[in-house]
Amino acid sequence: MEEIKKRLPLRCPACEAPLKVGRMFCEQCNTEVCGSFDLPLLARLTEKEQQFVIDFIKSSGSLKDMAKNIGVSYPTVRNILDDLIGKLNKMEEL
Amino acid sequence: MKTFNLNLVLNPFERIAGFQALGWGLLGMAVSTVICYLSGWHYHGLLHFGPAPNPAWWCYAIEHLVVWIVPAVLFYLGGLILSRSKIRVIDVLGTVAFAQLPLILMNLFNLLPPIQNMTKVDMNIPPAELLAQPGFLVGVWLSLIGVVFLVWALVWMFNALKVSCNLKGYPLGILYCIAVFGGDVLCRYLIRLCY
Repeated sequence: MEEIKKRLPLRCPACEAPLKVGRMFCEQCNTEVCGSFDLPLLARLTEKEQQFVIDFIKSSGSLKDMAKNIGVSYPTVRNILDDLIGKLNKMEEL
Repeated sequence: MKTFNLNLVLNPFERIAGFQALGWGLLGMAVSTVICYLSGWHYHGLLHFGPAPNPAWWCYAIEHLVVWIVPAVLFYLGGLILSRSKIRVIDVLGTVAFAQLPLILMNLFNLLPPIQNMTKVDMNIPPAELLAQPGFLVGVWLSLIGVVFLVWALVWMFNALKVSCNLKGYPLGILYCIAVFGGDVLCRYLIRLCY
């Protein structure tokens, strides 16, 4: 059977508020840690945005190389990056 | 199987911009200038076309340059004020030049005999007589089809501004209207100097 790829939920399915981490456990010894932890900034981005960050790092931060690699124009990549910077700034302010 | 990508037809600038777009745009402009020279159809502004008193080839070339440079400069200046992104001149010039490619198809329509004959008809004669002119209705229909390519070019201009200057919402709409309608007035003024 094909394994289902689970996505990390970022927002509450009931009220759309951002979710926090409440419980973590060690797979090896089953130790559980409970509390209220904020998700790291990058984990709060959508899957597509996270992929963009990964591609950006893999391209050594070169927007030109990245545009070539993913087959889009330079301003399109720059616009995605600028929008992402705006989103990260907003998230940091909250 | 390759699927038809409508988004690419409406917004090619997600894939092409900068020098590549500029190269295609300039090539298209050269082709368009030749077609206009052959058909005698002038650019009076960004949105106005028709016969004009100066049949010299350079007049057609200047018209094409004005219709490219004026909106591009207005887009760039507006983008500098309204956008938070770092805008490249080459992207604005390239995308605006590329956005005018559909006008080649409109200009090809103007080469057709029914439209050529329309330019010789005296528009001041009574409507019934006007409609009775041979090929007049066909000419009107062909002109309407030509308008579709003008609309297509305007959609590309909108997306050229959106992508090259990274604008959205009201700033995008307002700047587009100012650049297109204001640009049309400015182009008409500048082109009139050639006649």
